[in-house]
Parts: sequence; C-alpha cells; structure tokens
Amino acid sequence: MNEYMQMKRKKAIKFGIVSAISLIVFFSIWYICTAVLELKPDYILPSPVQVLEAFIEKLSKKAPDGATLFGHIGASLQVALSGYLLGAIIGVPLGVAMAWFRKVDLFVTPLFDLIRPVPTIAWIPLMILWFGIGLGAKAAIIFVSAFVPCVINSYSGIKQTKQVHLWVAQTFGASKRDMLFTVALPTAMPLIFTGLRISLGTAWMTLCAAEMLASNKGLGYMIQLNRTLGRADLIIVGMLTIGFVGTLLTGILNILEKRFVKGGRRG
Amino acid sequence: MSKKKGDREAVMYAILAIASFFVFWWFITTFTAAKQTTPGPIEVIQLLIKSLFEPIGNYTIFGHLMVSLRRVAVGFSVATILGIIFGIAMGTSDWARAIIKPIFELLRPIPPIAWIPIVILFFGIGELPKYVITGIGAFTNVTLNAYTAAENVDPELIGAAKMLGTDEKGIFFRVILPSCTPQIFAGMQVALSTSWMAVLAAEMVGAQEGCGWLILRGNDTLNIALVMVGMIVVGVVGFLLATIMRMAERRFCLWNRMGD
Repeated sequence: MNEYMQMKRKKAIKFGIVSAISLIVFFSIWYICTAVLELKPDYILPSPVQVLEAFIEKLSKKAPDGATLFGHIGASLQVALSGYLLGAIIGVPLGVAMAWFRKVDLFVTPLFDLIRPVPTIAWIPLMILWFGIGLGAKAAIIFVSAFVPCVINSYSGIKQTKQVHLWVAQTFGASKRDMLFTVALPTAMPLIFTGLRISLGTAWMTLCAAEMLASNKGLGYMIQLNRTLGRADLIIVGMLTIGFVGTLLTGILNILEKRFVKGGRRG
Repeated sequence: MSKKKGDREAVMYAILAIASFFVFWWFITTFTAAKQTTPGPIEVIQLLIKSLFEPIGNYTIFGHLMVSLRRVAVGFSVATILGIIFGIAMGTSDWARAIIKPIFELLRPIPPIAWIPIVILFFGIGELPKYVITGIGAFTNVTLNAYTAAENVDPELIGAAKMLGTDEKGIFFRVILPSCTPQIFAGMQVALSTSWMAVLAAEMVGAQEGCGWLILRGNDTLNIALVMVGMIVVGVVGFLLATIMRMAERRFCLWNRMGD
C-alpha cells in the first residue's frame, strides 16, 4: 500500500511538472508570436506582458472606459446578483409549486413552455424598452436567464420524490405540508442546487451580452468599448476577469451547497 | 381518474392558459398605457406573416433564419468534433490531460459572449468570426462532457475486454467510445442551445443579416413588433433544434434507454 501511494505521488508530481511546462509553453508561444515575431499588431493581439501591464494599470486608472477594474466588477456584480437572486427567489418556489400542486402544473407549465425556448439574449431589446437602460433592464434580463433553469430543476427535483416515501409519511400521519417540507423538498435539494448553479452560469454569460449592448459601466461594457478603441490588452484583461469572477461565484455556491444539502450529491 | 380523462383535462388547462396569455397581452396593449410602446398580438402576427414574403434588409425572415442556422451548423459541428477528440484524449491519457487541462481550465470559465470583441478584432466582421463564436459556445460543453465521461468509464468493462483479448484499438472503439456516447450527447444538447444563443449575440454586435440582426434592427428602428417576430422565430427554431437533438440521442443511444 505504501509503495502504491508513493508511486501515485510520484506520478502526480511528474504530471504536475508536465502541466506547468504546458502553461509555460503556451505563454511563451504567445509571447514569441507577439513581442518577438510581431505576427499581429498590438491592437489586435498584445503580448502577455502588455496584458499584465494593462491589468496592473487598470487597477487604479479610469481611462479609457470610465472606471477602474474594481469599479467594473462592482457594477457587474450589482446587476448580476440582483437579477440572479430575484430569479432564484421567484423561480425555485414557482418550480416547487408547479410540481406539487396539480392545478398549478396544468395551468402554468404550458405558459412556461411557451416562453422558455426564447434565448435570454433575444429579450434584451424588450427589457430595455420596458425598463429603460438603467439597472432595471439589465437585472430583468438576468432575472429571465436565471429564472428558467431554477424553475426546470426545482420542478424535476420535486417530481423525483418517490411515491413510496410520500405514502410512508402519510401513514405516519404527516399533513400535506409536512410531506412537502420534510420529504419532497429534501429530495429535491440536490437538483435545486444544480439549477442554481446552471442559472448562475447563464446569468453571468447573459450579463456580458446585456452590458455589451446597453450599458456605461461593467465588465461587458469594458470589453465592448475597448474593441472600438482597439485596446486588445484591456479586452483580454476584461475576459480573464469575467472568467475569474465567474469561477469565484461558482465556488461560493459550491460551499453553500455543501452546507445545505444533506447526504451529499453522489452517494 | 382514468388516464384519458387526465389527458383531456391537461389539454383543456393548456388551452385555457395560452388563451388567457394572449387575451391578457391583447388587453394591456389595447386598453392601457402600454399600447404606446408595446404592440399587440394581432400586429405581431400580421408582421410575422408579412415578413415571410417581404424582405427585411437583404432577406426574408426565412433567409435570415438560414444564415443563422448555417453559422450554427458550421461552428457547432467543427467544435463538436474537436471537443470530442480533446475530451476523450484528456479522459484517457495522462499526458494529454497534463498538457491540455491547465490551458482549458484557464479559458473555460470565459463565456462565449465575452469572446466576441476579441474575435471581431482578430477576424473582422465576416463569416469566420461567427463560426468561431458559435464554435466556442459548443466546444467547452462538449469537451467537458466527453472528458468526464471518458474518465469515468467503468474499469471493470475495460478489464473484462482486456481479459477476453481485445487489443488497444478495440478497447477504444468498442468499450470507451460507446460508454461515453450518452454523456457526449448530453453535452451536445447543451452545446447546441449555447451555440444558438451565441450566434444571436454575435449577430447583434456586428452583422448585416441573421436572426440576431433582425432583433437588433427592430430595436434600432423602434419597430418592436419586429423584435417580437424575431423572438418568436428564434424561440420556435431553438425548440425544434432541441427536439431534433433529443430524437438523435434516442436513435444513437438506444442501449442507454433500455434500462428505463
């Protein structure tokens, strides 16, 4: 066993080094193509060093897009989280209600199926028309994008409840309400969290689109404006920031999931 | 309650729900202040029928749809093939995983829409950037699913095949690949709808034709009925694409359904 562990550890170290080399090669090719060979001009593909410089500069400088990096992150987070929380707060209970009450299911599901296939991005012009170009419209768009996966997953989560479990609860004298809160909801919890995670991803993606089309602050606005200015270094900074913040949000959600979902997701 | 009676009730409720939706829409766009901004259902349907025959911009609505679908088809199919290759390589070989995974993990969290500005800078505003953007939308989903599927192939199956004298090639094509297929299809489903969304975004940011352009054009000319026509078309086609994918999955992953 000890020998096996040692072998495993050796292998992990070996491939860890390969991974590091791979990343180094990736960045060196990028560097050589841009800074040394100058295959593409700076305004299209800057070198990694320029991107790093732009990042450091952007931490404190407001030019050319009107806010520091943290200013953009703050603006994006404000929009994304308000829309997302609203979507989750309305979407999850609605999905639960659709699955639990037959009448709601019969009435609301057709309506939901009617609007569900329309991609969120297609809602952007309508939302701008109804809510203006402030926080409201963007939050509304993100609300739609977060709302749909929340409803779908809570719905199928509740529908997963085994009939036998409900019968057992009933035999022991549980009321309808007890059955929902102590049997169906805990069963649905893992899928509800899957829905929350999916909708976080789509919300964050939709945010970029919303900010690219109508905004004057935020990460999406930052990359879109810098395209027209030909500042590719700042675009790459923006893209990496979007990716990083997205990962961070998912990480927070995973921690929450571990705390609230009992029994683990897989066995 | 008999099943048939339950079905009839479901249909009745569905009709009631959709009818009340349209009546509500018609009501607020006829009798309230909303009529100044929002067109009613009749107006939208009239425009939809009209735009089937009269071109908007360079094409009729059908032409725009074909342009968008072609972009998705090219980007999606190239990305799916690449994604399956990369994903299975990462899932089956330690070397491939060690080399590809760090770069993949670095780029994966960036949503396809965030790639639009840099892709436009890089490739201009022709057809190629649209293929690239729809491709990025599909690539991450397919790769990720192929990767986890290939990594989680039941080792007992591989062991059994080895014991029965299957060579490396046989193991790959007859054990690993089939057992990955269902999950790859699941990834492709998500990938297709992401591609469909990405093409809209790409067309909204820089294009002269396509469904996304249609919606944005309606927005720019304050023709909200056109926006809604675009939404309807995009929704219907998105729904059809998802249905086709589901049917393909049922066809190609028959063994996966047998257990149900």
